[in-house]
Amino acid sequence: MLRGLYTAASGMMAQQRRHDTVTNNIANLNTPGYKAMTATIRSFPEMLVSAMGGSEQNRTSPIGKLTTGVFAEESRINFGQGDLVQTNRAQDLALVADIEVAGAVFDESGKYVDEQGNVVYQPQVFFTVLAPNGERQYTRDGSFRTAPDGTLITAEGNPVLGVDGQPIVINDTWDNIAVLNDGTLYDKQLGQPIPGAQLMLTVVDNPNMLIREGYKRFRYEGPPGGIRQVQPGDRVEIRQGFLERSNADPTQSMVDLMSALRLYEANQRVIQFYDESLRLAANEIGKV
Amino acid sequence: MNNSMISSSVSMSALQKKLDLIAENVANANTTGYKRKTSVFEDILNSVQPQHEDFLQEGRSTPLGFTQGWGMRMSALLLDMSQATLMATNLPTDLAIEGKGLFEVAVPAPGGGTTPAYTRSGSFQLLPHPDGGRQLSTNTGMPVVNQDGEPIIVPDGYELRVQSDGTLVGVSEADDTIIDLGRIRVVDVRMPELLRSIGDNLYVIDDIPNRENVVVVMDELPEGTMIMQGYTEASNVSLVDELTELISVQRAYQLNARALYSADQMLGMAVRLRA
Repeated sequence: MLRGLYTAASGMMAQQRRHDTVTNNIANLNTPGYKAMTATIRSFPEMLVSAMGGSEQNRTSPIGKLTTGVFAEESRINFGQGDLVQTNRAQDLALVADIEVAGAVFDESGKYVDEQGNVVYQPQVFFTVLAPNGERQYTRDGSFRTAPDGTLITAEGNPVLGVDGQPIVINDTWDNIAVLNDGTLYDKQLGQPIPGAQLMLTVVDNPNMLIREGYKRFRYEGPPGGIRQVQPGDRVEIRQGFLERSNADPTQSMVDLMSALRLYEANQRVIQFYDESLRLAANEIGKV
Repeated sequence: MNNSMISSSVSMSALQKKLDLIAENVANANTTGYKRKTSVFEDILNSVQPQHEDFLQEGRSTPLGFTQGWGMRMSALLLDMSQATLMATNLPTDLAIEGKGLFEVAVPAPGGGTTPAYTRSGSFQLLPHPDGGRQLSTNTGMPVVNQDGEPIIVPDGYELRVQSDGTLVGVSEADDTIIDLGRIRVVDVRMPELLRSIGDNLYVIDDIPNRENVVVVMDELPEGTMIMQGYTEASNVSLVDELTELISVQRAYQLNARALYSADQMLGMAVRLRA
């Protein structure tokens, strides 16, 4: 039947997905540590269309390439640095990172393409938390608090892990504690680091290998060698008394929202036109 | 069905709660000893739609699966226990803590007896006690306790003096003789996020296993902390901060409303496919 009917329908579905993704970004404009998402759209594989028959038998003449649809392929996360907002709470920590990779100059989206066309992504740093299923997961949200037994937990109640892979337990008031850039907790009264208390700051070499879990946590699905503890030379800072704001951009989100809506509308109109053509074919052709 | 509608409406209700919180802070901008409340949002529940291996095409940068979020909610309510400015009232029963710590007050427990509650609001009063003398109480009549956990009784004919280290003395109105009235109890709550507000500027700590680690009765006030008689602590709400927050929350609410409206239009278009 008419191919384009299905192409237009797939277009509506893809734009709906884009709209959903943008709505979720708008919903999380005030979520600390939130990273905006983009739905990438890809067309179905191309096929070659040929005209059959014609004046000479058994001869086909190519007409051209045709794709028969479009779909939302992946939801990519933009790991760009969010703005910092001052809260003055000693347990609020914000990560500021600009990790360098030799020979790469990253653009704003954290990507570098060299002359051979190889793509390098900028590594990103995360706090390590223990998810309810016992797995290590990663977060950029540093709005921590303390459980009654002194364990440092996230706002959702998951323990924050130290370098030894154990939860960090502090039975003192946090006003006495300074957090150094490598994650060491430092007792301001004694003037020395607290033994065994250093936050595990995980560097993920290719952050695209992270899958969003929700509740501000990410799960790593890449090769095991792609994650490591932060090294002294990495450009990573912890700001105590600050939180990293969501990096979703309201202006861009509004534009994307309008564009998704209008493209959805355009596809809907195309379906209506096809419907009209089908009506003519069914009811008007051959009418006596 | 329409995921955009779900995400935006869920988020609007969370933003509404945040607006309520800002309203509460602004309403208490002049409440003695009030500590502002803050909150944190979190994104909720991501579902991953599985994709067939054929989706692993060149140019793709993420693992298989299309993740989808469902809006956000409020995840934690926190108290900002920072110091507020002290205001001179010159009333001898007005006490303020400069530095850390909270006063302890005995409030009636649900099953009889009393349970400790904590407050930074030191606008106290002396109420007549049935056994004679006057009892130091909060403005709602709850007794303030001394170092031994007992109510503070000022005998008739004596005037209450509070020294900066928390020592209480009574000065005779007739001949300036001094009697010892003990010390006012000041507790250090190590984990202020465990304080739960019960109204009237009082906080309680629910039953937790190691209470003695969390609530520490201070035998002497640490350096930099003192009790000021004749002062009260103002509210630590900063109107500028609250109103800035209000603007940002209100705009986020509007944007979500727009997204909801836009999702509704899309639904309308789907319905009108065949007019």
